[in-house]
Amino acid sequence: MTPLLSVRDLVVRYGQATALDGVSLELGAGEMVALVGPNGAGKTTLLNTISGLLRPAGGECAVAGRVAQVPEGRQLFADMSVEDNLRLGAWTVRDRSPARVYELFPPLAAMRRRQAGTLSGGEQQMVAVGRALMARPDLLAVDELSLGLAPRVVDDLAEHLGRLNRDTGMAVLLVEQNARLALDLCPRAYVLESGRIAASGPSAELGQSAAIRAAYLGGAMDELQ
Amino acid sequence: MRRRLGIGLGVAIAIGTLLLPIALDDSQLTVYVFIGLATIVVAGLSLLMGYAGQVSLGQGAFYAIGAYTTALLAKLLGLPPPLALAAATAGTAAIAVVVGLPLLRLRGHYLAFATLAFQLIVLSVIGEARGLTGGDIGLPGVPTLSIGPVALEGQYRTFVFAYIVWALAALALLLNRNLVRSRPGRALRALATSEAGALAAGVSVGRLKLQVFALSAAYAGLAGGVYAFFLSYIAPGSFPVLLSIQFLIMATVGGLGSITGSLVGATVITLLVQVLTAVGTLPGMPLHAPAVFSYAVYGLVLVLILLLLPEGLVPAVQRRWRGA
Amino acid sequence: MSLLLQYLASGIATGCTFALVATGFVAIYRVTRVVNFAQGAFAVVGGMSAFALLSHGLPHVLAEALAVLLAAVVGLLVGLGAIGRRGTPVLASLIITLGIGIGSYAVLILAFGDQPVSFDGVGGALAVAGVTMPRQFLLVAAVTAAAFAALALFFNRTYLGRALTACSSNPHAARLVGIDTTRMGLVSFALGGALGGLAGVLLTPLQPVAFNSDVGLAINGFAAAVFGGILRPGTALVGALVLGVAEALVAGYSRASFQSGVALVLMLALMVWQASRRPAIAEDAA
Repeated sequence: MTPLLSVRDLVVRYGQATALDGVSLELGAGEMVALVGPNGAGKTTLLNTISGLLRPAGGECAVAGRVAQVPEGRQLFADMSVEDNLRLGAWTVRDRSPARVYELFPPLAAMRRRQAGTLSGGEQQMVAVGRALMARPDLLAVDELSLGLAPRVVDDLAEHLGRLNRDTGMAVLLVEQNARLALDLCPRAYVLESGRIAASGPSAELGQSAAIRAAYLGGAMDELQ
Repeated sequence: MRRRLGIGLGVAIAIGTLLLPIALDDSQLTVYVFIGLATIVVAGLSLLMGYAGQVSLGQGAFYAIGAYTTALLAKLLGLPPPLALAAATAGTAAIAVVVGLPLLRLRGHYLAFATLAFQLIVLSVIGEARGLTGGDIGLPGVPTLSIGPVALEGQYRTFVFAYIVWALAALALLLNRNLVRSRPGRALRALATSEAGALAAGVSVGRLKLQVFALSAAYAGLAGGVYAFFLSYIAPGSFPVLLSIQFLIMATVGGLGSITGSLVGATVITLLVQVLTAVGTLPGMPLHAPAVFSYAVYGLVLVLILLLLPEGLVPAVQRRWRGA
Repeated sequence: MSLLLQYLASGIATGCTFALVATGFVAIYRVTRVVNFAQGAFAVVGGMSAFALLSHGLPHVLAEALAVLLAAVVGLLVGLGAIGRRGTPVLASLIITLGIGIGSYAVLILAFGDQPVSFDGVGGALAVAGVTMPRQFLLVAAVTAAAFAALALFFNRTYLGRALTACSSNPHAARLVGIDTTRMGLVSFALGGALGGLAGVLLTPLQPVAFNSDVGLAINGFAAAVFGGILRPGTALVGALVLGVAEALVAGYSRASFQSGVALVLMLALMVWQASRRPAIAEDAA
């Protein structure tokens, strides 16, 4: 079966600088996969290529379905209302009604007329996720969900994502600096460092690996115990 | 090796242009003079646009200011012409500083309109100050250019003007070349790449932009002064907005920031205008033919250059030559 | 007193046309961040085409509507040149619009000659508050008001209008939800063309228009647009009316030749004031 997302030897450049240097990864329908790595590893570049915003200089990136991205830093239309933000998410599909998103995130319904820029970080993240969901994607790419949010809010959102995945079979590619969150939520993970895949495998295994723990999970401290 | 070739080519151009006036008749020499004057203005504009990244639609204003200041200093105050020229050039630069201080804080597109507005205001002021400038009718009787006791008159007037203009243009281009390669030039080059980057590197961006703006105005003012002496008669009609646009086209075609580009752009466009006027005034052509040709060609050249060869002619040729 | 009212009325009428030109600038700038130097030319195209169509016997309203449509098409073409190719830097787009504006002179002279043209709009005059004013003034004001109302509805109530606002608000996010920002830019250019054309159609009965009338209109329109940072049509409307009235007063009470100076000086002063409120370093093109 063709995987939903197939990235093979992907090379992406910004002018002279190479951001992605031969990246390969795969994601099947209904999977939840994590992509962890440090700042500047190329995670956002990869997501933007998957979303079709960047053109590869080499290799290929193929999606067998619809992709929607929840971008880093929310990137809402700040001066427009919550409802407008959601409805714009449906640009590429026919059904523009936000009813489904309001069901999923009831607080948003109460805030529908408020200007998106005036919302709290957590609320904005809800809008960003909701906006992406409006496109009825087969693959939801989430970039740094936890950035700047309180842990409780993040857990809440993560739970929503997990439930969506189980109930609707929507695949999720979770890009995170917060490796613990990502590995807890997703059964499988890749590690991206300096534009290359440094490691991949089941999250449980990766979570045990000494190198990963040292780099991303504060493992050094654990080991000393 | 390439560098020596480049210098060799530069020397060849210098010698060629130096010898050329000998072979030209009077009307051709006039075109030569205009090309030379345009080269000086465009050298400044090219620096401004290529390195400081500012679009000026008002170089014609500084050209006019230089012309009128020189003419008035020589005519009304009786200043010896070389002194009048120098003073006018300095004065134009000073005005540019005053105008540039607030204007250069603006983003590129604001500045484009602002310099356009500046030129219209200058033209309007010249037109209104009838007592001083002769208003719309113009200022006749600009004294002849004389260096000490030697006055430029008579049969060889245009011929000598050609050499004066050659010398000034060569000076301008040499100054640009040294400026760009020098230590202050490094700051300029940093500015051209990225304003924020230059700022981070400790470059005083605001001051640098102002200096380049003033320098470009000085070039234009100097050329304007020589123009005044050459024609002996100037009027606001000699400095329309279209003139500023011509300079812009010359700079863009030649290559923004390119030294030889200024010369190439000035030459190509001036000759093009000559051809168009000649064709447009052929018997049988309707009255507005020259204007139509000019407008059409200006528009086409500008659009095509920016879409097809945005770096300009000289850099494109250099790139082709280097890559080959 | 009646003289003052006369000037006010005339100023408001021209101000309305400035407002339409200004909104054209705003519409294009918001979405593309390009200042369209051909904006004045759209008005000239509109006015002169209407004249030509009327001369060929087309009835009013139809002729004007077609002229506006033609201006919209011209706007689209300008947009194609300026932003049609992805990756054109903003400053290059600006110069391209300038080039097209100059090139338009050639086309306009060939099509309509080099003399100013005018046509009769809504003829006749009305007595309002003891002042006789041309009925055209009222038409201009009414149509401008209607245009602004329609624009407000378009941007706030329609999906396409909201998409345009989205491009202005956050181009990256707009692209992420699948909006083709280049195509939206072209739409905004067509809209700018229509607005400019409408301005020309309304203005020509009041003031003859020639191939090079675009400079004056563009400067006035841009000055008004600058009131709102080239981003807010409502503020541009206010600015345009102020400008129109100021110019009318200057022309009436002082010298007519100072009239154009008002816009220039005002615009410069505004721009400098706005710039001083912002950081001196421009952001790198994003």
